[in-house]
Amino acid sequence: MGEIKIAHMYPDLMNLYGDRGNLICLSQRLKWYGFNCKITPVSLGEDLDFNDIDFIFMGGGSDREQDLIYRDLWKRADRLWIEIEEGMPMLAICGAYQLLGKYYQALDGKIMQGLSFFDFYTEGEEKRLIGNIILEAEVTGEKVTVVGFENHGGRTYLNDSAIEPFGKVIKGYGNNGYDKTEGIFYKNLIGTYLHGPLLPKNPDIADFFIKVILMRKGIKLDKKLDNTIENFAHEQVKKMILAG
Amino acid sequence: MRGLRKITAMLTGKILLLLMKVLGRQGTVLPGKIARRIDPDILKKLAKNITEEIIVVTGTNGKTTTSNMIAQILTEEGYSIIHNRAGANMLTGITTAFIAGSDFTGRRRYHYAVLETDEANVPLLLREVKPRLLLITNFFRDQLDRYGELDYTVKMIKDAVRESSIELVLNADDPLMADFERYTGLCVWYYGFDDTDYDTLVSSESREGRYCVFCGNEISYRRYHYAQLGSFYCNKCGNHNPEPNFLARDLVMNPHLRFKINNIEIESYYQGFYNAYNILAAVSAAKLLGVENETIRKAIKSYIPRAGRMEVFNINGKETILILVKNPAGLNQTLTAMKHDKRRKNIFLALNDNAADGRDVSWIWDADVEIINETNYERIVCSGKRSGDIAVRIKYSGVSENTILIKTPLKEGIEAACSGEGETTYILSTYTALFPCRKILRRMHHKKASKEGEVFRLTE
Repeated sequence: MGEIKIAHMYPDLMNLYGDRGNLICLSQRLKWYGFNCKITPVSLGEDLDFNDIDFIFMGGGSDREQDLIYRDLWKRADRLWIEIEEGMPMLAICGAYQLLGKYYQALDGKIMQGLSFFDFYTEGEEKRLIGNIILEAEVTGEKVTVVGFENHGGRTYLNDSAIEPFGKVIKGYGNNGYDKTEGIFYKNLIGTYLHGPLLPKNPDIADFFIKVILMRKGIKLDKKLDNTIENFAHEQVKKMILAG
Repeated sequence: MRGLRKITAMLTGKILLLLMKVLGRQGTVLPGKIARRIDPDILKKLAKNITEEIIVVTGTNGKTTTSNMIAQILTEEGYSIIHNRAGANMLTGITTAFIAGSDFTGRRRYHYAVLETDEANVPLLLREVKPRLLLITNFFRDQLDRYGELDYTVKMIKDAVRESSIELVLNADDPLMADFERYTGLCVWYYGFDDTDYDTLVSSESREGRYCVFCGNEISYRRYHYAQLGSFYCNKCGNHNPEPNFLARDLVMNPHLRFKINNIEIESYYQGFYNAYNILAAVSAAKLLGVENETIRKAIKSYIPRAGRMEVFNINGKETILILVKNPAGLNQTLTAMKHDKRRKNIFLALNDNAADGRDVSWIWDADVEIINETNYERIVCSGKRSGDIAVRIKYSGVSENTILIKTPLKEGIEAACSGEGETTYILSTYTALFPCRKILRRMHHKKASKEGEVFRLTE
């Protein structure tokens, strides 16, 4: 059986708050499903052949690193957009998510350009939005709860009401603390503020990506994993958030 | 009038201390807090009772152990000292320590004050006390959700000392401290490690300070001691480790720590590279204060750890070791120390997410928990408010599900761990679960077991 290839974009620069846990989760689950998985770190300026990749991951970074990443991604933007349009599964967290929009305006007024893949923008504010968060998402076709931890100064506003958010905020802040939207969902791409990390405690979302990866390779997933521990952790946090 | 204010503040503080003692509470913060409301200058005034020097210890990891060791060395040399307790390391806790040590009129004199403080608290503290030495252990990623990015904290400390005449005692192996000397223009003393047999040539992933503090280029390493501490250099601007004034060499970690600092032979019952750094930092400070080599050697050798710094209990005839873990670097080091202990183990981990632990528990994914596979475990019990999160982390490190037991209440968890088949039990806990765990262990501790100090010996 073929190997699953994951591109980890800028692991040196973009890895905050345990985001690498998403890749630990995907590669372990793929292994338990019976597939080998190879994670390729991609650094600034390094060649990447998207034809050879089954999944793209980009974690959060601090403001200082955002600009470096933008300049590097800009050179790959055309190819990346084609891949997204063709259904490449991708997970972009926090700073990486913000980069998919039009721009990020920092507190001091400085504007950092984004890739403009989607019509949304982000404005930095002094008070950071920090805390546990719970969403309702429908990416799998069924309504599921998603739990995580958010920690962002930026407020993201979706200009285009046609953009589907990743989820609806049940408790927490989400994109901006006002409109109850969190993240974006487009084809097989999820952009989100959720750390935690996202995938280990939300096995439905992890399996959504795995199913897409395999489907694009013409493989149907019929095996089921035991999610007792993952579900326990999910419910434990959920209970705590809803109670507090 | 000003004298009256001080006396009122002292009296109130003293009475509160007494009250809390009667109530059986740990009065480490409140008396200082109230006394500061009555007399905002109380700490400034009491700090004048220090006849020799004030030493401030800060940094991400190891500040408690390091400051306790400095206190121990100074006591061994016959000095009287004021020293704040672990956890009470904000201004209120430090004020409480001064009130507790002083008499009612606030005039009792002490030779030294050894003050442990949180990194973010350094600028505030320096407005009230004038230390001779500021010792920094290291800068690791820790509780980012409380203070924002590490860069900001580091800069705040640099700015706070800039206009002072403080002498800095810095870790030569931490690339995040490399520009302190140039930025502040202060007198700097460095401590650091020579090459050791435990170094690695590749890094673990969870390190900070990947970029040169001078030019922003990615820094390279000749060797890593642990985390981002090591022998580093910058390819672009030539920045590299400063020459240490206190150089540690010939490190042996098994069965316990032995090494040389300049010409002092050090032996300690502690384990782990991070503790070797704590000892090195403490000894450097002691040498700068003029303490004799023989006193230092004796104080370090007889040093007995405090709560959670590898405290040992005897439960059902088995050695049970309590360890505080609070961030990725600390957890990595603890797991590595457990790997070196070859005995079959029951492992217990308690993860809480209260304010003092950090609300965000994602740090467990930045730690290399995969090391747990080499620790010769029999069972792993997951406990605390976030027992689920730690259980998931352990499952994804490759541990078989049947070996993982979730027991959220601490008492049930500890009992389940201690009843395992392992020859020894390791109890790992985050900050707010530590004291409850300790209380449970103390109760279970075999009554006939000898005094705490005497059972402390990790490996025969």
